[in-house]
Amino acid sequence: MKALLILLALPAILLPTACLLYILYQALPALNWSLIAGSDTANISNMSSAGQALWHQISGSLLLMMLANILAAPLALSMAFFHALIASRQQKMILMTFLQVLQGIPPIVYGLCGLILLVHLLHWGISLATGAVILAIIILPLLSSNIIHALERIPAEQTEAAAALGMSKAAIVLRVWFPLAWTSMLTGLVLAMARSLSETAPILFTATVFSGIAWPDSLFSPVTSLQTHIFYLAQEGSNAQAIHVAWASAAVLLALVLLFSLTALFLRRYKESS
Amino acid sequence: MRLAPSIPNHSPPISETNKPEKVCIEVHKLSLQLSGKPILHDVSFTIPSLGITSLIGPSGAGKSSLLRCLNRLYDDWKGNISMNNTPIKKWHGGADVLRQFVGLIAQKPSVFPVSIAENVTFGLPRQQRQQNQDELIQSCLKQAALWNEVKDRLHTPANTLSLGQQQRLCLARALALKPAILLLDEPTSSLDPLSKELIECSITKLAISMPIICVTHDLDQAARLQGQVVFMCDGKVIETGESHAFFTQPKRIETREFLRWSVCECAED
Repeated sequence: MKALLILLALPAILLPTACLLYILYQALPALNWSLIAGSDTANISNMSSAGQALWHQISGSLLLMMLANILAAPLALSMAFFHALIASRQQKMILMTFLQVLQGIPPIVYGLCGLILLVHLLHWGISLATGAVILAIIILPLLSSNIIHALERIPAEQTEAAAALGMSKAAIVLRVWFPLAWTSMLTGLVLAMARSLSETAPILFTATVFSGIAWPDSLFSPVTSLQTHIFYLAQEGSNAQAIHVAWASAAVLLALVLLFSLTALFLRRYKESS
Repeated sequence: MRLAPSIPNHSPPISETNKPEKVCIEVHKLSLQLSGKPILHDVSFTIPSLGITSLIGPSGAGKSSLLRCLNRLYDDWKGNISMNNTPIKKWHGGADVLRQFVGLIAQKPSVFPVSIAENVTFGLPRQQRQQNQDELIQSCLKQAALWNEVKDRLHTPANTLSLGQQQRLCLARALALKPAILLLDEPTSSLDPLSKELIECSITKLAISMPIICVTHDLDQAARLQGQVVFMCDGKVIETGESHAFFTQPKRIETREFLRWSVCECAED
């Protein structure tokens, strides 16, 4: 029985690890500092955004991620506090079901909505703002759930002790809930950042272009991003150099997502140890 | 099986002049439902303006819920609760102000993740917290019989204290608000005998100047604390009486059964 369980459990670790190792194996020959930061990309200029290095795609991805989280975080906090302070038991049940359903919606559907409503109807165009709004909508249910769960982990006795001292709800939130839950909430935010870095489909036709953009002029200018860059390069199947750069881009993207996931893990450990 | 618990003599006797006279809290036909389940039915009794009132009864009798109605932590009840003839639902300033007037100590000590000194002043308004409160901290910790144990480490985290010390810190924290009434929900149920004795001593001293309502499962403790006893079962008040008379000459058969077996078998009237 034990051997069977191990046999069934192993693929869950081995398969992603094999993928990861293969990506690194393919990426390493092309991965160097000049590809990320700079100047030595003339030979692949037709593939990596007209002579730009990956730095522009990295900054575009980070910009989209940050804006999406700046938009989503206050809304998610408000929803979590509504859930904790105001909602009845029935409203809480409806809200949690709704958030779970929203998390299950394929991101491409949000991308399509963004294309029709924001790009065409509101004339925002393919832009940083459109992409950030769509990404914010996608991560909102995840971020809200994370913050709700962070608040639910606060011992009820602490809240009751504060209320018994005559503290107002605002004071309880600021002086009891935030100090107890900030690491959990931050962990949720970092996980949402990692999620927004992973999304490709919704920004493919709402925010990004393949090349020609070093830094967006305004919120309503398009950007380049690592995710969509990999997609564009992978379509150049006959160009070996382009494929090498695609592998290198994938490795950089993985490193970024890993960085955020490990930060979340560190915060969780810090919370548990304190 | 004993009928009445032993009554030790360590608690200071309440003098004749301090004996409860004036009615301070009046509960009239109080009914409470939580999640559709009836918890309290038509509960009526009065609490004297000084001294200790012990709420006893089996688990699920509604004792802790009743305490939380008295300071409006549970606010969705029917009936009337008056304090000094003011209905608490119409309390000036609302429930938050009422809760500063009515301190509550819960069964499980719950200290905040700040220092011992900051815990004592945690409930004070911001302006008062920013002022020097050394005297208040010392006085409250002394009243809670904790000062001697923590006077050299007031700025260390409160969660480094033992459970018994944390419970006394919760008492000091409630006293810092200068409440007029104290509600205690099984304050010693999870504590060692020494901590239990220290808290009982503090309670009996405080009861000289304010009414204290103490939920307890420990009949010996209810007898030691003296004062009034209210026996509850199935969300109803079965019998009230002065401690000694209650334990030696209970009037109701349910009370006698409870005291005999410490099990409630509410007989239908």
